[in-house]
Amino acid sequence: MKLKQGSFLWYLYLDKLYCLLSVRNVKALVEYFHLLDVHRKNTLNGQYFHVLFYHFLHHVTDLTRNQITVVFHMLDWNAAGEIGFDQFYMLVCILLAQENHLEEQFLFRHSRPVFELLDLDGELKIGPDNLYMYNFLFNIKKEQLRDLYYNFDITGDRLLNYKEFKLFTIFSMDKYQESQKAEKEKKNEKALLQKKVAQVNESQRESLLGTKQFESISNYNC
Amino acid sequence: MEGKAFKASAKSSSHPGSGRSSLQDIRSMWSTATLSQPKLNVQLPTVREDSELEDFSVSGKTRWSYDQKAGHDAEGGWEASDGGEDKDRFKPEEPELGGDSSQGSRLEEDASKTDNEKSTSESSLNISRHTPHRAYWVEQQNRLPLPLTELMENEALEILTEALRSYQSEIGRDHSLTKQLQRYIEGLKRRRNRRLQVLAI
Repeated sequence: MKLKQGSFLWYLYLDKLYCLLSVRNVKALVEYFHLLDVHRKNTLNGQYFHVLFYHFLHHVTDLTRNQITVVFHMLDWNAAGEIGFDQFYMLVCILLAQENHLEEQFLFRHSRPVFELLDLDGELKIGPDNLYMYNFLFNIKKEQLRDLYYNFDITGDRLLNYKEFKLFTIFSMDKYQESQKAEKEKKNEKALLQKKVAQVNESQRESLLGTKQFESISNYNC
Repeated sequence: MEGKAFKASAKSSSHPGSGRSSLQDIRSMWSTATLSQPKLNVQLPTVREDSELEDFSVSGKTRWSYDQKAGHDAEGGWEASDGGEDKDRFKPEEPELGGDSSQGSRLEEDASKTDNEKSTSESSLNISRHTPHRAYWVEQQNRLPLPLTELMENEALEILTEALRSYQSEIGRDHSLTKQLQRYIEGLKRRRNRRLQVLAI
């Protein structure tokens, strides 16, 4: 999923630690939501063809019609057929987390609300199909899903309860931080190497200049 | 931080969303009202707030940036540079300082007087530099920046125009919801045109 460059959401920014919008951003988002709330119901209507919501997502993202329908059903947690500002805010945070590659952090920080979103049936457990249905939002790959259920399904019922899901988010967060650290070290090493090469080149150049000068002086003396 | 920012706006308008009265207050601030105040504690609007919070910076892709720290640093920088200039102005007193103790107390009084004069001159310099900026930032407390509002409205118009086509095809042109949406879109377009005309002037 990608946000359309230059769209309003594209300019918003999540706090990298808490993966939430600042008050000022929320204020702007409220104004935006009210602009789209044509019928003055403090909601984006859904109904059976979820028009406003669909056109909004279609305009600002590259999600397909089916994916937008899936998102709508996920967010319409009270089955009202409409999306209120709370759900809209949640959606924007999820979209921004994906856009800014903060999925692991977002899942870690907001594991409870995400779990409740994914738990469509209200059974307090998530099956692999549920998770896979939303992988375009949370960027969970198939291999990861397989590992997830293999490593974290402690109860062995092939479903994840909240504690197991939370463990998974902690594990992915650790893995993400390690990969970030490794990447940073790699960059530092590269920069150091480049610096050393530049220094060596500089010293070689100086020594060459030195010998040329010596030669010219000795030629002059002769 | 946000509280102080909203306090400043509360001073300028009696109640939030007040139309003309807030505009008039802001205009008066643009003129002379602030000159009487000795020191300005202006809270600039923040999108970039703190290192713990989000980072919002101007880049080539023009993300919005109102940097409070930068503003404060700038103010500090202005104050520091003004302080330096003013110190130079008041420096002639120093060569007259002697080792005489009887002059010591008088000199201390003079020093304190010069300090006071220095602070008022510093503040007046700061006021003259801050006045236009202060009014601008206070105005921004109640409103979103104009470019952002414009972007939001344009985008909303595009989305709603597409939605109108769906409404017309799905539920018909005569349906109340379709007509409501149509009226809303026309209202948005009128508002946008009015704003463009004002900008053109």
